[in-house]
Amino acid sequence: MIETDINDLSDDADYAAASRQQGPASFNRSDSGRRSSSGETEGAEVVYLKDNVTIHPTQYAADWISGRLKLIKQAGSLFMTWIPYKGQNSNARLTEKDKNLYTIRAVPFSDIKSIRRHNPPIGWQYIIVVLSSGLAFPPLYFYNGGVKEFLATVKQHAFLVRSADDANVFVVNDFQDPLQKTLSSLELPRAVSVANSPSSSVALSESPSSGNQEMTEGGAFNGSAASVRQNGTPRQKHNDPARDLHMQVLEKFSLVTRFARETTSQLFRESQMDGFLASERRRYDQPLVEHQSLVEHPESPDSNGSPKTPVPADPLEFDKMSLVWGKPRQPRLGLEEWSNFLDSEGRVMDANALKKRIFYGGVEHNLRRELWPFLLEYHPYDSTFAEREYLVAIKKLEYETLKKQWQSISHAQARRFTKFRERKGLIDKDVVRTDRSLSFYDGDDNPNVHLLRDILLTYSFYNFDLGYCQGMSDLLSPILFVMKDESESFWCFVSLMERLGPNFSRDQSGMHSQLFALSKLVEILDSPLHNYFQQNECINYFFCFRWILIQFKREFDFDRTMLLWEVLWTRYLSEHLHLYFCVAILKRYRNKIIGEQMDFDTLLKFINELSGQIDLNPTLRDAEALCICAGENGAACIPPGTPPSLPIEDASVYPQLEDDIL
Amino acid sequence: MASSGNKSINAKLVLLGDVGAGKSSLVLRFVKGQFIEFQESTIGAAFSSQTVAVDDATVKFEIWDTAGQERYHSLAPMYYRGAAAAIIVYDITNQASLERAKKWVQELQSQGNSNMVMALAGNKADLVDSRKVATEEAQAYAQENGLFFMETSAKTATNVNDIFYEIAKRLPRLQPAQNPSGMVLLNRPPAEKAAGASCCS
Ligand SMILES: Nc1nc2c(ncn2[C@@H]2O[C@H](COP(=O)(O)OP(=O)(O)OP(=O)(O)O)[C@@H](O)[C@H]2O)c(=O)[nH]1
Ligand SMILES: [Mg+2]
Repeated sequence: MIETDINDLSDDADYAAASRQQGPASFNRSDSGRRSSSGETEGAEVVYLKDNVTIHPTQYAADWISGRLKLIKQAGSLFMTWIPYKGQNSNARLTEKDKNLYTIRAVPFSDIKSIRRHNPPIGWQYIIVVLSSGLAFPPLYFYNGGVKEFLATVKQHAFLVRSADDANVFVVNDFQDPLQKTLSSLELPRAVSVANSPSSSVALSESPSSGNQEMTEGGAFNGSAASVRQNGTPRQKHNDPARDLHMQVLEKFSLVTRFARETTSQLFRESQMDGFLASERRRYDQPLVEHQSLVEHPESPDSNGSPKTPVPADPLEFDKMSLVWGKPRQPRLGLEEWSNFLDSEGRVMDANALKKRIFYGGVEHNLRRELWPFLLEYHPYDSTFAEREYLVAIKKLEYETLKKQWQSISHAQARRFTKFRERKGLIDKDVVRTDRSLSFYDGDDNPNVHLLRDILLTYSFYNFDLGYCQGMSDLLSPILFVMKDESESFWCFVSLMERLGPNFSRDQSGMHSQLFALSKLVEILDSPLHNYFQQNECINYFFCFRWILIQFKREFDFDRTMLLWEVLWTRYLSEHLHLYFCVAILKRYRNKIIGEQMDFDTLLKFINELSGQIDLNPTLRDAEALCICAGENGAACIPPGTPPSLPIEDASVYPQLEDDIL
Repeated sequence: MASSGNKSINAKLVLLGDVGAGKSSLVLRFVKGQFIEFQESTIGAAFSSQTVAVDDATVKFEIWDTAGQERYHSLAPMYYRGAAAAIIVYDITNQASLERAKKWVQELQSQGNSNMVMALAGNKADLVDSRKVATEEAQAYAQENGLFFMETSAKTATNVNDIFYEIAKRLPRLQPAQNPSGMVLLNRPPAEKAAGASCCS
């Protein structure tokens, strides 16, 4: 197993216990008053220390840099440092010099504007520290937990208030002097506060810093360097290559900052709209019209019909950013590795680890038959071999009973049963044009085509209210191809439809909620693109209809479809990775879409013709990165009950419309 | 594209009709000259374009091919809204598909653009042995409702180009507008968009 990352964050209690065993290198808050680590100037007091705080300059785990985060109090002011460990990552592409770029040396809290906390449901907590200049440090991942403690410590020693707009943003205001506080609230140039800040007179870190000027040199990544850019005053040595690189790094970080700002202000707008979730239902009925007016139009692309239009920059451009979160894809899970997931009786010992493994690599084809029933939640992960065997047998009988319901309809009865005849007719029409180019389904009188029909017809009796709908045969076909067995395929399909059934509901509510969530995600992840869609009457995102309805089945060849599906079915990072996947595709083509000024028709044609053109693995990685990037703001875009989440109300209810034949 | 003096017209055309009547097959035949025996069902809608030359103009059809299932009915207005022409397709081997076609005609007559050119296509005309709908029946219906009618076969290509050509001839000729030939009109004002057809010289 190619598992490179360290375990998920442990909570603070665990950390406290673990740190006692770690010995002298670790830090115990209770003795903070007495202790100051070597290399620090007298009078400086370490008030917080956390090991294994890590930055991820690239998506490759080998490049991740762990270090020690400290809060230091000196002369009544609070400073933050983060120093990478020496000698780690021996085979990494980052040199020690590169690592120095990321070092945070004694940044005074007077230079820090806010701290944003992220608690992804899975993975490490991290914070993004935003400087007054608007630049930001890369996310600091707390492998050993401790974000809460960090914030609590900051609050003890500096002026920290939770933002009214966003509970995860903490605004810093480190002015002890009430007069300065007033000055800052008047938004005087921050140079004033820097000049008055004690930072210029302390030397806390390895880099000599006896004044503002020096702090811009030496490649240290610190708050004063940021102020150079903000003030726009070139200081000495601007041809220093190290500093140029330094600035590039800063610029990349500023993308992150801008992203954080945009999402924050976005959420602020949301909260003004008398409760995001409460207004959902209403908005499905009037799709997207009312919120259009609430969206800003920061950059309006030149739309005078010129074919080459300047394309507004992508706020999160992956290729050009070193801060990429998506991990490299792994090889598929094979038999031997799979057997290690099972205990002697056949229970999956760590379902989450299994899902994670499949999320990053997929499954070898010959294992799918065994694994898909778990992923689809037809087989419980904690069932034994024997229990599964029993379940299969019981379910087979149940299937036979269901199937007899329509098999026993005689010709005479069928003549008096229009709904049945029509439903059967529709299924008959569809199964003969589903994946017929595969040898599994080709040829006249192919038995597998008959199986498709029987299973779909049985399903339409099992879930008579939902019935049969075009697209379902696309969803069943790979399942039958994998499972081979009729009853097993049926039950896997039933499980899948528990989640995707609402895609086919008569009122289109399942599709609307997903398209709506997609539009919100594009809005926070690529607002220029969102604005473009809005200005060009594409705001309903109907051009993504097919992608979502049948889970990209028509966009990839069979093998890639199966891989994508099992990745989505893990629901590892998000239940709605498919929506991030949509965003990822759109972002890959955003420049073409905007540059060529595609209108709705052209866009639909373009999207339909992307079939077979989308690069699966890189797009999956983008989707993963987007999902992580969007964090809880992304999750907040997706109303509860949006497929494939289980419906909030009873899943089995599909409202019937009068006068609806099928 | 159009030689000087000739009009170049962009016309939005929508295909409606029962599941499996052959809408996508007709489009494929018209646009690419192909036929696929196991043409996949249409999910959502598909868009394509093709140009035909009639005596006084070149007509570029912007073709919307919709999904046939009743379940997706609610999406149809999005596609026929503003269309200049519609082909309502039924399958001559399936009586129910003609009934469905009639419903579409009704809907377009009440909801669609009033000077929309409508054609009724009795498709799969090659399947003579399985015919369930008499030519005369459909012909009579079409006449009563002001549609023009043709039996077509996407498989053999019979009457496929012809039906589009007939539509092209019947499209109202609008005032010339500024539009470089072959280009999709950008930022059309809504009124013009609603008219569905636009032309230029
Ligand atoms: N014999 C014959 N078969 C045809 C003809 N046109 C279409 N078919 C077949 O009929 C089936 C359905 O054709 P489609 O073009 O997919 O039908 P559609 O109206 O687009 O169907 P939906 O997209 O589901 O609404 C396919 O198997 C075609 O091969 C025809 O002219 N003759
Ligand atoms: Mg079709």
